[in-house]
Amino acid sequence: MALAIRDLTLGYDRHPAVHHLDLDLAPGSLTAVVGPNGAGKSTLLKGLTGELQPLEGRIDRRAERLAYLPQLSEVDRSFPVAVGAFVAMGLWHRVGAFGRIGGADAARVAEALAAVGLTGFEKRPISALSGGQVQRVMFARLLLQDADLILLDEPFTSMDTKTAADLLAVVQRWHGEGRTVLAVLHDIEAVRRHFPETLLLAREKVAHGATAQVLSAENLFRARQMSEAFDDRANVCVRPRERGAA
Amino acid sequence: MNWLIDPFADFAFMQRALLGCLAISLGATPVGVFLLLRRMSLTGDAMAHAILPGAAVGYLVAGLNLGAMTLGGVAAGLVVAVMTGAVARFTDLREDASLAAFYLISLALGVLLVSLKGSNVDLMHVLFGTVLALDDAALTLLCAITTFTLVTLALVFRPLVLECADPRFLASVSRWSGPVHFLFLGLVVLNLVAGFQALGTLMAVGIMILPAAAARFWASSIGGMLAVAAAIAATSSVVGLLASYHAGLPSGPAIILAAGMLYLASLCFGPTGSLAARFWPRAHLEA
Amino acid sequence: MLTRRLLLASAAALALVSPAFAQEKLKVIATFSILGDIVANVGGDRVDVTTLVGPDGDAHVFQPSPADAEAVAGAQVIVANGLGFEGWMDRLVKASGTRAAMVVVSDGISPISFGEEDHAEEAGHEGHDDHAAEEEGHEDHEGHEDHAEEAGHEDHEGHEDHAEEAGHDDHGHGALDPHAWQSVTNVALYVGAIERGLAAADPAGAETYKANAAAYLAELDALDADIRAAIAALPEDRRTVVTSHDAFGYFAADYGLTFVAPQGVSTEAEASAQDVAALITQIKDAGIAAVFVENIADRRLLDQIATETGARIGGTLYSDALSGPEGPAGTYLTMMRHNLGQLTAALSQ
Repeated sequence: MALAIRDLTLGYDRHPAVHHLDLDLAPGSLTAVVGPNGAGKSTLLKGLTGELQPLEGRIDRRAERLAYLPQLSEVDRSFPVAVGAFVAMGLWHRVGAFGRIGGADAARVAEALAAVGLTGFEKRPISALSGGQVQRVMFARLLLQDADLILLDEPFTSMDTKTAADLLAVVQRWHGEGRTVLAVLHDIEAVRRHFPETLLLAREKVAHGATAQVLSAENLFRARQMSEAFDDRANVCVRPRERGAA
Repeated sequence: MNWLIDPFADFAFMQRALLGCLAISLGATPVGVFLLLRRMSLTGDAMAHAILPGAAVGYLVAGLNLGAMTLGGVAAGLVVAVMTGAVARFTDLREDASLAAFYLISLALGVLLVSLKGSNVDLMHVLFGTVLALDDAALTLLCAITTFTLVTLALVFRPLVLECADPRFLASVSRWSGPVHFLFLGLVVLNLVAGFQALGTLMAVGIMILPAAAARFWASSIGGMLAVAAAIAATSSVVGLLASYHAGLPSGPAIILAAGMLYLASLCFGPTGSLAARFWPRAHLEA
Repeated sequence: MLTRRLLLASAAALALVSPAFAQEKLKVIATFSILGDIVANVGGDRVDVTTLVGPDGDAHVFQPSPADAEAVAGAQVIVANGLGFEGWMDRLVKASGTRAAMVVVSDGISPISFGEEDHAEEAGHEGHDDHAAEEEGHEDHEGHEDHAEEAGHEDHEGHEDHAEEAGHDDHGHGALDPHAWQSVTNVALYVGAIERGLAAADPAGAETYKANAAAYLAELDALDADIRAAIAALPEDRRTVVTSHDAFGYFAADYGLTFVAPQGVSTEAEASAQDVAALITQIKDAGIAAVFVENIADRRLLDQIATETGARIGGTLYSDALSGPEGPAGTYLTMMRHNLGQLTAALSQ
């Protein structure tokens, strides 16, 4: 398993956003994460990157390198750095803190920018980009990271259809290269078309497996029952710890 | 032309003052650029107060001994800087609030320690010098710190820039995040304390922040900002020293006011992001 | 039997009552160490002196503590210098709610002002020409003519105006120089004021105070004579000295030395390159040989000047405070003698 999650609970202020989740992701799998608003999808990804500490449960990550595309870019947009330099950060695993960035690397940067439709943007400062362009720049950086576990949080939201289609093709390519991809998406139709596996999340796991089965009307209905707000009068959760095999 | 060269040619103390200012323009100003970019511009003032307990301990131990008080000050500054960084990393409190909390605690502790000895010596006044009184020891200290700063900045340039631009990304791909953060804070403390001792509070903090703020309106890359800031700092030093010489103005404030005027000019008329760029934009291009 | 018991009872009663009649010392507050020493000399055993700004302390930046307010509240007499030296005194007196009598020792002297524009010049000692009436020993008037050659010097006549001029903000003391104790003749007047103040608060001790004062005045006279003799023995062209603190105006006026300083009196004023350069030029041109550091100021600037001009650092002069009891200036008399010694040693070489 590339990713083994056992009884994971993630939350804010003791209220669970992800509740007792068990999940196994096979290496090379391409999985979409869908669910209603507030279902804990972004929270799950943040827990996987280590940004959020689990309230309970365990995550076993057997990937060598992890790459993460956040939903809201928390990059300081006013920082005086050019697109080229920013994207080149993705080469960290090759050059580290002190390595030279040579001609071959510059070519890789150009290639990554071309893949996201931003050819020729190398010298442009980040502050001059639109939100969607920044998202694409971050995607380009991700491309260079050469990771084997890739987490994407709503990667196509601020993009036009053509670019989204191009990047979906890139995602397919990753799948073909044997990388494990987990992507949070809102567009159910795109999921049906392009993602072989799906996790339907409504704070707790509703269903996980082949997309067609998971996205049944029944499952979708169950997912919509989940209440979005935290319950201020909730009691302490006393579910048994061990759940057996997933 | 004589009025430009003569003051420096005729008087040794002017030459030393100039050398000291140039040293600090090369060392402290780049640190100031990064401080600005990390939104920590008020750190200098806070740090001036934070070093008091360290200086107080030095005073309690060794009397009015400048070396002991400086060492104590550096130690206290480093402790405050490290605690600030740690709290900001591991809790929800951000760096500015964290620093405010620690410097206030530190200052109160310092005042308490000083009053314990019972004497009403103005410690801070003894600790803070003036650019016109740079003796060999102070000059050597300044140059050493500048060299150390430049070497360190060159070495950790990439992780430092990343840590400022996208700290989460750096944390995800490397273990440099923590070390470079604290290393940077250490550089800040070092440059500030050396600056206080040699040049006084106003000059040390002023020369760190004002040129950096002015450089924002000239350059859109980090390298550019660093170069412009250093140039502005050096120019302000020369102008300020000449004004102090020819017009009898106190030296520290003269230099900082020169930097201030360059800042205001940049704010109004600089090429990027200034008031002029906003209210009188140049004609747009075809594509 | 009865008689003996009666006697024993009365003796016991008297023994209990007599502490109430035991002599209580007069509680006196002196604002700083120099005054404290003078008051102790005049008051002797009858007074209990508390000094607010202690040895090596800086009265310019003194901040009273609650303990000080308490001491002031319990005092019967407060002795202060006046002339703006104790900027914090009014607030302290008000805050403590004391009912002590206030003796401002400088009320009887003729104050002088600081020099006007350039700090690098002498304090306005030339103004003394106008005050010649009450004071003795202006034998060294001749020395004044030499000063006319020094850079940027002002005419004597101009100084009458200084006493009335306002706005000498850069000194932090107002226009007047408060360091009147640097002239022994002024301290003699101080002694008079103190003696009167103590006698008013403690009439029973008036005779004692008079005797003490007379004895101390004799010592002051001897000191004054020694100073004049020593200065007179110095060559005419070796009577200019650089110090870091503009506090010796009265000494200069009374005894004929010239003091130049790179900064104003307040320890907070910052120097300008022009002042420092002018001072260096002056020292080089006039061949001044000695530069003195004062016990509360920053000596780094002075070191810088000394290095550049080749002048000697002549030692420490005490201006605003006594040293600790083990130091060379533990009392006013020893302080003045110490300063004199340092000055003559450096200038007679």
